[in-house]
Amino acid sequence: MGSPIETWDGAAAYFTGAGSAMPGVILVISAIFCVVAIAMGAAHEAHAYKSLED
Amino acid sequence: MEQELADLAAKVAALEEGGGWTTSINLEVFYWWCTALMFIIHAGFLAYEMGASRKKNVLASGIKNILAFAFMIPTFFFFGWWIYLAFPTGLIPDISAATADAGAPWADAMGPNLADNATGIFWAAFTLFAATTASIFSGAVIERIRLSAFIILAILLGSVVWIMAASWAWHGDGWLLTELGWHDFGAAGCVHMVAGFFALGVLINLGPRIGKFNPDGTANDLSPHNLPFAVFGLMLLIVGFFGFLGGCIIYNGSGQWTTIFGNPVTLSAVAFNTLMCFAGGIIGAWLATRDPFWMMSGALAGIFSAAPGLDVYWPPLAFLLGVAGGIIAPAAAKVLEKNLKIDDAVGAVSVHGVAGCWGVLAFGIFAAGYPNGDYPATNFMAQLVGAAVMFATGFVPGYVASLVLKVLGMLRIPEKAEILGMDKAKVPVAAYPEDLPPAALAAE
Repeated sequence: MGSPIETWDGAAAYFTGAGSAMPGVILVISAIFCVVAIAMGAAHEAHAYKSLED
Repeated sequence: MEQELADLAAKVAALEEGGGWTTSINLEVFYWWCTALMFIIHAGFLAYEMGASRKKNVLASGIKNILAFAFMIPTFFFFGWWIYLAFPTGLIPDISAATADAGAPWADAMGPNLADNATGIFWAAFTLFAATTASIFSGAVIERIRLSAFIILAILLGSVVWIMAASWAWHGDGWLLTELGWHDFGAAGCVHMVAGFFALGVLINLGPRIGKFNPDGTANDLSPHNLPFAVFGLMLLIVGFFGFLGGCIIYNGSGQWTTIFGNPVTLSAVAFNTLMCFAGGIIGAWLATRDPFWMMSGALAGIFSAAPGLDVYWPPLAFLLGVAGGIIAPAAAKVLEKNLKIDDAVGAVSVHGVAGCWGVLAFGIFAAGYPNGDYPATNFMAQLVGAAVMFATGFVPGYVASLVLKVLGMLRIPEKAEILGMDKAKVPVAAYPEDLPPAALAAE
């Protein structure tokens, strides 16, 4: 990704990768991570409660 | 002479530029500290929710509360802010480039940008509003909801449902304002009513905690394990509400403050009325219950009772509205428990939902006729219709989503875990290890 600017003069959006496709990729990975984290939490819960039942 | 004029013009230009920067920086600083103060709301919610839990569930309640906050932040970035900007006219989103450029998660405005000092700081403040709605809901469902189900419901409430209502009720182009003349300065509708009645919809499907009701329908008192901690948490919430209410005001730099929806207002107005209704709520709840938990909950109910008109009320009127809110909230909690058999562990439905509704309607009764520019002036019917919209916008998604989770078997923890306690069932550390039997301590 890296810097999208070569000078601060006139810079506007300067976040890493601005203007390229990479921020979109990171965005999608972030969203998928959240879904996976919830799924892993659900699996941990299910396992914990099943252990208790057993 | 010409040189002097040129020098003067240069000085004026420099002063103008400096003034412009001062305005931008002051805007950022104001909302920065509003956001920081709103974090104190969550310190309060954490203390109050853990204190209100029984000892066997204290850490599980804390984990739930913390995670609601954590998941709210990225999801509000992913879609929450865009919803606010895209839905002011109703259920059909504005998908124009202007909306996408301002609020879509891939927009240039949604990240470090030297041409935009406003978007990030407004997004942060609104994210904290969103987290507040999730925390309101969180307390109601302690001690029996599955964590994963709770997170899904919290995201639905905080990053979709309330912000949709805020787009209708707070946005300067929101249809409740432009079509009806709705007025709700402090978000009694879109935050408190929506969150409170969302919680009610979930509670109906979730059911009461084991042991809450006897076979004959009478209720048992499942007392908080640490009432002083809960009461302290409620006071922290009040501190944080000064940030919340600050975030309800637009800093214009070179002109008068305005409400989020564009009417002129002063911080002085809000200071008068916030303190007066806060005090009224405490006194009202004290007269009704003599219970410190309800006195501090009454302080919140008092604020929500006057929240729609904190910008315009005569302070003694705000005080009396607060007194009424402090009396109404515990009374509503009794009705929910005794008549409807709803187990709302912290009174979220009554404090936020019912008192918020009272506040919205009270504005229509006591503050009709305030001008709204080209839109209809404030009036009772706008508040009545708006209250119905806020109720439905909260209740229906809460009820439907929790019903789906219930049908899928994902809503509630197993009975055995509930009786044993959620901490022992799934949390790897103990809240009060000194309470463990000596053999367990030795094993550790």
